[in-house]
Amino acid sequence: MTNDPTRAAGPPRPAMPPPLEADWLRAARERVRVFAQYDGPFEERADVVVVGSGPCGAVAAYELARAGKDVILVEEGPPFTVRDLELDGNLSMTRTMREGGLRTTRGTIMPTMQAVALGGGSLVNSAICVRPPDAVFERWASGFDLERTDRAHLDPHFDAIGEFLGIAPTPDAVQGRRNLLFRDACRALGVSSEPIERNVRGCRGSGECFTGCRSRAKQSMDVSYVPAALRAGARVLTSLKVLTIHHTGRRATGVSGHVVVPFSGGGRSGRTHRFRIDAKAVVLAAGCTATPVLLRESGNLANLSGQVGRNLQFHPGVAIAGVFPEAVDPQFGATQGYQSLAFLHEGFKLETLWAPPPLLSMRFPGMGAELQARYAELPRMAVWDAIVSANRSLGEVRSRPFLTQPELHWRLHPADLAILRRALFVIAELFFAAGATRILPGVGGIAEQIDRLEDARVLDSEAVRAENLVMGGNHVFCTTRMHGDPTRGVVDEDGRCHDFENLYIADTGIFPQCPSVNPMWTGMALARRQALALAERL
Amino acid sequence: MLGSVFTGLLIIGAAIVLAVASHRRFFAGHPAPPSGLAVLHRGEVAFLQAAAEVLFPESASLPVVGVDAQLPLYVDRHLAALPRTQRFLIRALLLLFEHLSLVLPAGGPGGRDRFSSLSAAARVDVLEQVAGHRDDRVRLLFTALRALVALGYLGHPENLRALSLAPFEIEPGVSDAELLFPRIGALPMSIRFTEADRTDPAALGPLDPHGPRLRAGSRADRLAGPPAGSDARRATP
Repeated sequence: MTNDPTRAAGPPRPAMPPPLEADWLRAARERVRVFAQYDGPFEERADVVVVGSGPCGAVAAYELARAGKDVILVEEGPPFTVRDLELDGNLSMTRTMREGGLRTTRGTIMPTMQAVALGGGSLVNSAICVRPPDAVFERWASGFDLERTDRAHLDPHFDAIGEFLGIAPTPDAVQGRRNLLFRDACRALGVSSEPIERNVRGCRGSGECFTGCRSRAKQSMDVSYVPAALRAGARVLTSLKVLTIHHTGRRATGVSGHVVVPFSGGGRSGRTHRFRIDAKAVVLAAGCTATPVLLRESGNLANLSGQVGRNLQFHPGVAIAGVFPEAVDPQFGATQGYQSLAFLHEGFKLETLWAPPPLLSMRFPGMGAELQARYAELPRMAVWDAIVSANRSLGEVRSRPFLTQPELHWRLHPADLAILRRALFVIAELFFAAGATRILPGVGGIAEQIDRLEDARVLDSEAVRAENLVMGGNHVFCTTRMHGDPTRGVVDEDGRCHDFENLYIADTGIFPQCPSVNPMWTGMALARRQALALAERL
Repeated sequence: MLGSVFTGLLIIGAAIVLAVASHRRFFAGHPAPPSGLAVLHRGEVAFLQAAAEVLFPESASLPVVGVDAQLPLYVDRHLAALPRTQRFLIRALLLLFEHLSLVLPAGGPGGRDRFSSLSAAARVDVLEQVAGHRDDRVRLLFTALRALVALGYLGHPENLRALSLAPFEIEPGVSDAELLFPRIGALPMSIRFTEADRTDPAALGPLDPHGPRLRAGSRADRLAGPPAGSDARRATP
């Protein structure tokens, strides 16, 4: 006789039944805090506090929590549910971007956008995932004394993230005509091209990545790594702006700051209760423009090298609209579905592009009936762009007394301007090869529209000046760069600040140079490696 | 003694004349603005309508003309959502254009009147001077103004629909984010989704490129107001 019910009831059961789905959900919700829940100052304690929930911070938080560490992920922005997404591109930017989407560089004026939302830029980017070619890592290794930052060491991390997020080439079924026209143009000119790999599962082709995916097909961090971190036991505290990193000697002891009202911009008038989080290690993933400011305003931390905030680099981008004789139906299709890496050796990458039409139309020339006629051509338009490896165009992130937002000072180098001109001409060639009847280059000081390829040669000439280019620079790098030499860089290959035992940086600021391709996947791979190393040390 | 009294009276008189002229220039004579504005004052509304009329006149290209596109309401909502610094800069831009005719007057009599008081032809004249100015920075001002109003104009739901560029009608997905997080400003107890509500976009397949589009666009969505239990005053722009 026995009292063991498992023997009486057939096959043995596991000692502990797996948690019901509802249980994990209830437990995970209890580990989330949103703005409406803060009712006074508070203090928390954890093994690791991760500041910033963008792609790098979310990966770091997940891996650390999965390794059994007590993790708090802090985010200044709120979580956006589908019903919080704004379909109007302009209003979406005011809600999801720093400075209401109106941030620009000084020096050479260029719009640049950094998100402030749970999931960071992944909420409103087009989900492009590209592994940099070997040449990029070879450049990094030789120029910055790095020994383990190459494809061989990083590919396992790329693979793990790729599998987690379902990164795969964009299928033809959701390319839409404007993306396929690019493919056809490349074929016609003998230029290699390929469908863009993206962190998307079940794309429906709504073309609205930039305002947030209503289908929830895009695997932005708020639907992927952040929930996974919560499942693994992490706590996620939103609407908290970190203002200070606390430290004793060479050890960071935690962070503190204020609760901020959503969409207030984080200024003094939008701050409410104070908070403090003590931790055994601090991971800064606040982004390339915010992390250096945080370090400087905490007492110029981790800056024995003098490199914090310096070496600011972008991938400045330019775009051309092409008008076709028949309908393109541009609203349908993956936001950015096709690319060409054929010109990386010349310093630029080509992509297709779509955005909310009112945003695209801002570059159209003229006014009155002429401008309205351009709008009417939008259904026959496609837009293709180039991003440039502007390694020689440098700048600096500076904090500004009494102002919340930093100043980004950056200047386009003449050699990089030459690459932009060349890229513009190649895009023009592609458009005419695809059958476009004319192009709108959107460049001041030259013809507003170009009807023949021969006339497009002006794009690759000195007539195109930096101040007349309509550029965008949303990939930002290098402000806390990784370097094997502590006197020349801020962090080591594991993202640990050279001057600190337990202060880490996990965002694109640690890139030694711009990576020539879209940076999200690389940043996540580096963050994963860092998190695993940190988990072992704790 | 008499001289200093006379001088004093002259200064006071000049100050009064200046004050009256300034009042007339900056504040008087604007029509009443539409109700429900959070940021814009009546002078700014008048300027926006005056600019919309010449930037987006009646044409065969689009069904809605500038003055009917409710641009003041759109710009007001945009400004209300912006951080204070950016809001200030945009309002400064509006003020600058309203009185730019003092520096770049339109041709003909009254060419230095404020922008919103000029004839349509005179307004076009002023804008063309700015758009074609030899200084890049001045041209940039025109680009900024045009962008500000074009966003609301082309983004008007009827214009987008006429061009088949309105967003697709999509049943919003339910992901882990909807299960875990409340709407902005709301408490977690307001979350109504359960595991059973989770959706799989892969099961739905690609959209039909010519499929149904949203009729009201995002404007009506936002007019529906904040969710139950939200702290709308603090969290909704």
